[in-house]
This record gives sequence, structure tokens and C-alpha cells, in this order.
Amino acid sequence: MPAVELHAVSKSYTRRGRPPQKALDDLHLVVESGGVHGFLGPNGSGKTTTIRVLLGLVRADAGDVRLLDRPVPAGLPEVIGSVGALVETPLFFPGFSGRRNLRLLAETAGVPRGRVEEVLDVVALRDRADDRFKGYSLGMKQRLGIAAALLKRPRLLVLDEPSNGLDPAGIRDVRELIRRLGSDGSTTVLLSSHLLAEIEQVADSVSIMARGRCIASGPVREVLAGRSSGDVRVRVPDRAAAAAVLTAAGYRVSPADDALLVSAVRAPGEVTRLLAEHGHYLEELSPVAADLESAFLALTADPA
Amino acid sequence: MSAVLTPPPTAPAGSFGGLVRAETHRFLARRFIRVLLLVALAGWATALVVSLLAFQTPSPERLAEARAAQQEQIQLAGEGREQCLADPARPADVAPDDWCGPPATADQLPLSMFLQPEPFSLSADGTAGAVSVAALAAALAFLVGGTFVGAEWSTRSMVALLFWETRRPRVMAAKLLVTAVASAVLGLLMQALWLGLATLLQSVVGDGVTPPAGFWSELLGAQGRGVLLAVFAGLLGFGLTNLLRNTGAATGVAFVYVAIAENAVRALRPAWQPWLLTNNAAALVLPDGLTLYLDDRVDSQGVYRQVEYLLTSGQAAAFLTLVTAAVVGVGVVLFNRRDLH
Repeated sequence: MPAVELHAVSKSYTRRGRPPQKALDDLHLVVESGGVHGFLGPNGSGKTTTIRVLLGLVRADAGDVRLLDRPVPAGLPEVIGSVGALVETPLFFPGFSGRRNLRLLAETAGVPRGRVEEVLDVVALRDRADDRFKGYSLGMKQRLGIAAALLKRPRLLVLDEPSNGLDPAGIRDVRELIRRLGSDGSTTVLLSSHLLAEIEQVADSVSIMARGRCIASGPVREVLAGRSSGDVRVRVPDRAAAAAVLTAAGYRVSPADDALLVSAVRAPGEVTRLLAEHGHYLEELSPVAADLESAFLALTADPA
Repeated sequence: MSAVLTPPPTAPAGSFGGLVRAETHRFLARRFIRVLLLVALAGWATALVVSLLAFQTPSPERLAEARAAQQEQIQLAGEGREQCLADPARPADVAPDDWCGPPATADQLPLSMFLQPEPFSLSADGTAGAVSVAALAAALAFLVGGTFVGAEWSTRSMVALLFWETRRPRVMAAKLLVTAVASAVLGLLMQALWLGLATLLQSVVGDGVTPPAGFWSELLGAQGRGVLLAVFAGLLGFGLTNLLRNTGAATGVAFVYVAIAENAVRALRPAWQPWLLTNNAAALVLPDGLTLYLDDRVDSQGVYRQVEYLLTSGQAAAFLTLVTAAVVGVGVVLFNRRDLH
């Protein structure tokens, strides 16, 4: 059962005196249950609107939205107790302590008070739990936001830029927490982030948004494979002679540090054979894998 | 970060009772509410001290002196009137009472005028005090209701709460319930403080006069309607702030309405006075409603007559109910339909 399903979802914002602005345009997105699903896209691509539609804060103009197999917004009350969310900046009462803020939320959702102490432990904030929220650093605020999202023991955890404001140790801790939650088999983490490295390290699958549409989605490896360049890196003792042989055979060759970069190679074995026939024996031949950043940039590039 | 988290099956949102409990706790934990309670108690203590210094029960000697002074003044006034009546220059076509005034009586020169400091009079001041306290409680309840929901919008906690309870009408209903109950408690507390103060002053520095028949029912009735006014004011403050999503803006609008708009109506369209909120608030609490002077008109015989209109407590309650329901209702409907960011 998918944790999140959006089919043909559209949403436009209308502002007085301005033409309607399309935030979501016939969006199709499916996030299967379990694991960590990265949610990528440049600013204004529709990520936050998608999350707000999922949580019932924004009403879609058209399309079907389902969360944990319930229609949104009608069925949302049936499952909201299993959905934890941290959307953009954590929102708490500044004059109340972290613990009091969490207790009020726990009371709202009927969560036992003991759970508050558990999640404070999870985000390592118990020592500062009685300090006022407005005195927290950005990282502490973010950790309290994560603690609030975990209060309900969520089956679906929606995290929007959870590493914002965290120091390197905090980022590592959050990453480990996300990885652990995603690997327990029963929690789905929908992780929206602009940190491509973060997504690449923790996500099992990824969706990339651009201009209100989902332009690529699937396991990270598949998305990257789809954007594979076909380039290979070749290292030989005599680079100039080897480059001449490959160029004569129709390959596009360019220098790359102490090696050669051969582009659009359909069969790397051809390169090996060709060079061997001309007495150039390989010290290295390795495919140049596309990373998420290049895939992301290529996919989200403005067609204009 | 450590600890293992094991999610259970899908769970629904919490109960309405839990939501109301959380809202109540949040309300009570607010610093503004705590400061308000402290200020109310401090104000009560100050009023007690000032009143004990300002009023004094007269001794038999002081009472006798005051009575003698009262009689002397009545006698002097009578002598002056006699001289006036005997004056040959007095016009013949003017009635004696119109030219020289009516004969002086003890009602016109009450004993309290000759007692300094004068004693506290529960029968004279009890109900008037309750009406004043009702006005003060209403103003505070307006602020309480406004700041309660205004803080939600300014911190955007309103949006965060919807991650926990997605049924927006429930969220609003819980907040309105807490606001209404809190306003009633505030009104009740302030009226209880006034009753306690007035009873204490009557027993310590009072005039010793037993209140007339019907006094207590009139006083308690006015106090009860004062509590109702506090509830209306609290809900109006909540409703207006919820519409504008800003406490400062709502307070500003309320000030402009009371200080400018209502006075403009009184000056330019006196016939509309029965539709003014403050008139209805006063009519609700005052024991006999509020008599309004709507207009001066010339009758068929060419005589100017003032048009009076009695705004009753019942009419005022109905009008305030309608206005409060409209302001709160529009806010709730918009909150239910709007996209929240």
C-alpha cells in the first residue's frame, strides 16, 4: 500500500491583480510504504505545496490525494494520528518551554505524557527541555520540531528541510535517525531537502519536482542510471597517443587530470580492445557515474 | 540521539475533550492571563485601601452636626425664597417656582452633603458599581479573547495545531469554548470581587442603612448580566482578531469604532443609536435598560419634543447575540475554507 498517492493534482494560487500562479500542474506522485523517500526540487517547484496539500492545509483544485490509503482531506482525521510532520520552521509558543509545548501537543492528540520524555531523549534535548522555546538556538528549535513530529509514533513522517540550522554533529544525528526510522520497515519518511548529498546518503527512493510536476521518480539508483552519461575515465601511460587513437576511431576525448575522459561510450570493451590493438595497455578504465546533483540539475533545467 | 521507535497501526486524531484540555492548559499558562489576574487582585486591594481611607461611618455627634447643618441650609434657602417672592420687581407673568425656585427640601440637600468624609452607601452605589465593573470586565474579556487567538496567528501555532487535529471546525470550537468559559469566569470573578468589596465597605465604613426591598435582586441581576456581557465581549474580541489575524489590528478597529464611529453616529444619525454596541452593552447590564434620546421633533402643535427610546435588556441581549454570532461565524467559515501557509 502506498503511503502517499497524488494523481492529476493541480493547484493554482490567485492573488488580487495578478494572474493565477500554477503551483501544482497535473502532479502524479506515489511514495511506497517503508524506507526513506527523498523529495527534491528547486525553489518554487511545488514541494511545499505538495506537502501542504497532503496535510490538508491547502486544498487542491483538482485530482485525487490519498495519505495512508485515506482520501485527503475527508479521510485525514482517520490517519492524522499516524502522521508526523515538520514543515519548514518549527511552530511553537515562544514563551513556553520545549517540554510544555510538547505536552500540549501530546494532550491534543491523546498521546501519553511519558512519550514526551521519550522523544526528548531521541533528539537529545532533555537537559534543555524546561528552557523557553524562544531561547533555543536554531538547531535546538529544529530538534524540538523533530521531537514533535515523532510524538505520535508516526507511520508516515514528513520532514521538510530537517537539517536546517543544525551543526555537523546534529546533521549526522538527524541523518542517522532518519535512516533508522526508514529501515524499521513500518515507517515511511518523506524527506524534502535541498541537500542533495543528504538525500543521496539516506534515501531509498527519490522524486524530483520541477514546475509543479514530478519529472522523475523511483529508486535512487534507477533515477541515476536514467541519467547515466556513458562517459568513461581512461588512464594509460601515453595519454597523447591513446587520445589520437580514440579520436581517429570517432570517440570524443578530453583530458581529465592524469587521465582521459571518453564520452558517449556504448561498450567500454570496445575502448579496451582498440587501445590494446595499438599497444596501449590500460592502467584504469572506469565508468563516470552520474551523481544526484548532476541528475537533478539536468532534470530541473529550464527548457527555455 | 538514541532509542528505538516502533510505530503502531494507523491512529486517528485525538478526542475533542483532549483538544479542549490542551487549549485550557495553554490558556492558563499564558503570561498575559496570569498578569491580568494579579493586576485584578492588586486593583481590588488598592480600591479597598483607598475606599477605607475615603469613606467613614459617622459618629452620633458628627451625624447630629450634619443634621443641624442640613436644617440650617434648608432654612437659609427658605428665607432666600421668601425674599425673592416678596420682591416687587418679580414679573407677574412668571410662575413663582419658575422665578424663585421650589421650596428647599431634605431630598435636595441630602445628609451626605454635610458629612465629610461621607459613609459608603451600598444601597446607593452597589448597583452602579456593578455596572462599572461589568464595563471593565467586558474590556478585559475583549483583550483576553483577542490575545488568545492573536497569539496563535502571530506564532502560526494555529497551523501547527492542524497537523494534530485536521478538523478545523473542531479546532475553532475548542478555542471558542475556552474563550467563552474564561470570559465568564473573568466576569464572575470581577463581580465577586466588587460584591466582596462593597459588602466589606458597608460593614466597616457604611452608612448603616438597610438596603430597600428588591435591592439584592436588582444588584445580582445586574451582576449576572455583567457576566453575560463579558462573554459577548470575549467572543467578539476572539472573532474580530480571528478575522484580522492580528491582535493589534483588532484592538485598533475596536478603538476606532468606539471612539470615532459611535460618536459620529450619535452626532449625525441619533436615530441609529439603538444599533450601537456600547448602547446595547449598557442596556444589557442596567437594571431598567437604557433610555436613549433619539431626536428633537416638532409635534403637530408646533412644540419641540424629545423622542425617547427605551432599549431593554432583552433587546440588547438579542442584538449582541446576533452581532457576536456574525463576527465569530464569518471568521470560522473563512478559517474552514482558506488555504493556510
